[in-house]
Amino acid sequence: MTAVDVPAVCGDRERVIGWLQEYGVYVGVAALLVFNIAFTPHFLSVENFRTQAVQVTPVLILSLGMALVIATGGIDLSVGSVMALAAAMISLYLGYGPVAAILVALVAGAAAGAVNGALVAFAGVQAIVATLAMMIGGRGLSLVLLPQLDGIRNAGIRELGAGDLLGVPYLVWVSAALIAVVAFVVRRTVFGRRLVAIGGNRRASELSGLPVRRTLLAVYMLCGLFAAVAGVLATARLQASDPNSIGQLIELSAITAVVVGGTPLQGGRMRVAGTVAGAVLMQLLVSTLIKHDLPPSWTQIAQTAVIIAAVYVARERGRR
Amino acid sequence: MATVPFDRAGRSPRRTATVFTALACTALTLLATSCARGEDEAGGGQTAGGGQARAQELDDAAGSDQTCNIEQFGMEKFDLKDMTVGFSQSEAESNPFRITETASIKSEAEKRGVELITANAQSDFAQQISDVQGLMSQGAELLIVAPLNSDGWEPVLAEAERKQIPIVTIDREINGNPCEDYVTFIGSDFVEQGRRAADRMIEALGGEGEVAILLGTAGNNVTTERTEGFKERIEEKAPGIEVVFEQTGEFTREGGQSVTEQLIQSNPEIDGVYAENDEMGIGAVTALRGAGKQPGDVKIVTVDGTEAAVQGIIDGWIYAVIESNPRFGPLAFDAHESFGKGEDVPVELIISDREYTRDNAEEELSNAY
Repeated sequence: MTAVDVPAVCGDRERVIGWLQEYGVYVGVAALLVFNIAFTPHFLSVENFRTQAVQVTPVLILSLGMALVIATGGIDLSVGSVMALAAAMISLYLGYGPVAAILVALVAGAAAGAVNGALVAFAGVQAIVATLAMMIGGRGLSLVLLPQLDGIRNAGIRELGAGDLLGVPYLVWVSAALIAVVAFVVRRTVFGRRLVAIGGNRRASELSGLPVRRTLLAVYMLCGLFAAVAGVLATARLQASDPNSIGQLIELSAITAVVVGGTPLQGGRMRVAGTVAGAVLMQLLVSTLIKHDLPPSWTQIAQTAVIIAAVYVARERGRR
Repeated sequence: MATVPFDRAGRSPRRTATVFTALACTALTLLATSCARGEDEAGGGQTAGGGQARAQELDDAAGSDQTCNIEQFGMEKFDLKDMTVGFSQSEAESNPFRITETASIKSEAEKRGVELITANAQSDFAQQISDVQGLMSQGAELLIVAPLNSDGWEPVLAEAERKQIPIVTIDREINGNPCEDYVTFIGSDFVEQGRRAADRMIEALGGEGEVAILLGTAGNNVTTERTEGFKERIEEKAPGIEVVFEQTGEFTREGGQSVTEQLIQSNPEIDGVYAENDEMGIGAVTALRGAGKQPGDVKIVTVDGTEAAVQGIIDGWIYAVIESNPRFGPLAFDAHESFGKGEDVPVELIISDREYTRDNAEEELSNAY
């Protein structure tokens, strides 16, 4: 870094850390882009960016929902299982046509989110426990419904997964739309203010008369709904419903994207653009290592390094 | 707070939670069961497994010369018909291989009128150990085990020895002394499968070109052996072929698709893809199709022999499929039967796997699983 970024005076260290918290994730994305442009063959092509954008879509959508939940001070471990549930629904209800099947999948996702939300908001179960139960139960239920991979030949679903509009894949349109919706909700609506307030101090929010329980329920339902959207899109892209392997461990990728993006795990703050950049950063990291044909164990190590760096930067703020 | 706060309607939040959770769960269950209608309900569904399809055949040349009989093992002769057999499956029956394997064991037991108790460890090794112990305490007198790992079986082997329960392991080996810890191992030679895949790849590319490998799950002997055999044969027979890319697709369709998408971006002139199972190969096909390639542009060779992959050969996307036959039922029960009669049983039985190519795919489609 240049002297502009790191002023010599010791007291400015905090300023650097603060700056890194705010913009570190973008620096990471930019660094990876520069590296790839310099060293990866065929990186600067429309096709490549299309591939990366399509591949990041499920994690990106999940991490948006996850960021909402984390902003309230909670967490949702069940998103991968909800994806599997949505995939199973698509296969079960495709006989009624693609639109009906997608609607059923979304309703199932929202219902699963409602169970999480009710347990967290009304029964006072800790989020990590409630959603862990849904993570195990949801996967189990979807495997009962659809015990094995089922190929999808429906033209509508396949078009959703592989087709494009104005040269941009439908998957990317959907994620762009959801980013816009979440950004609007968080920045411009009362609901957005409330969920951040609850994460900041639940007790104070209750005492000041905010509808804490209702808000929490809605947040978990939204997260479930987003997970179902991710499940539908992943299924469409794969051209098969695969409840056994879809979304395995993806909740961890989503949480990573949120944390790397600068949303603190203890809640009270939500960064939409940072979350998007966090998801993109992890995607670029994995893709760089794959393209350079490095062993998969390197991918895990590199991801770990990014997570620790992100959490380290966040820790500095806690001390301040 | 000593009292539970009530809302305006006088309901306690806890009750609301119960009601809400119950409602949502009911909704989920209703969605799941009520009026589902799949894409091809009239299509008759899939016919997985069963003993009707092509059974396994032994490769007499391979396997071990060492044999085992019941006297060496140190127990009394028995008649298979009077025995209870326990079967422990390692992975969830959600992929075609495992579905067919379990179905084959079950249908063979039914055919022979042998009582069978089963357990599935869902890819959890600790669970499989307790599964097998559970089967023994439930009265299994003979065991058929599809092990998840090769190591770590000592507690089970000790108990089986004490109770004099002979074990036949299928598809993967248990590390131990044959005829002491277990009777016999029945399975495919994964290194050989890799070599044969390499032969097909060499044939497809005419001995020249760049090849990518879609590896299976890391740290799994199937992955290591299928890779070893493939590379060994390529090095030996076709120095003109270069393996330029090796990444794991975790044995899943999604993994195969994602990795192949990255691959065709960074190596657009790739000539061949060797997928270590069919699911990843089908994922690769989806990726290639998405990238606007035509069938046959990139030669794909896979291992397994599932129906979808053999269909891929007919459609022109897949060049060849090396079979890994999961229909262990007949051979496993044969082994127990002849062992019980006091006959000599080889301690290693290697299956001769077939292969599917453009020449036989259409007529053999019904034999795929």
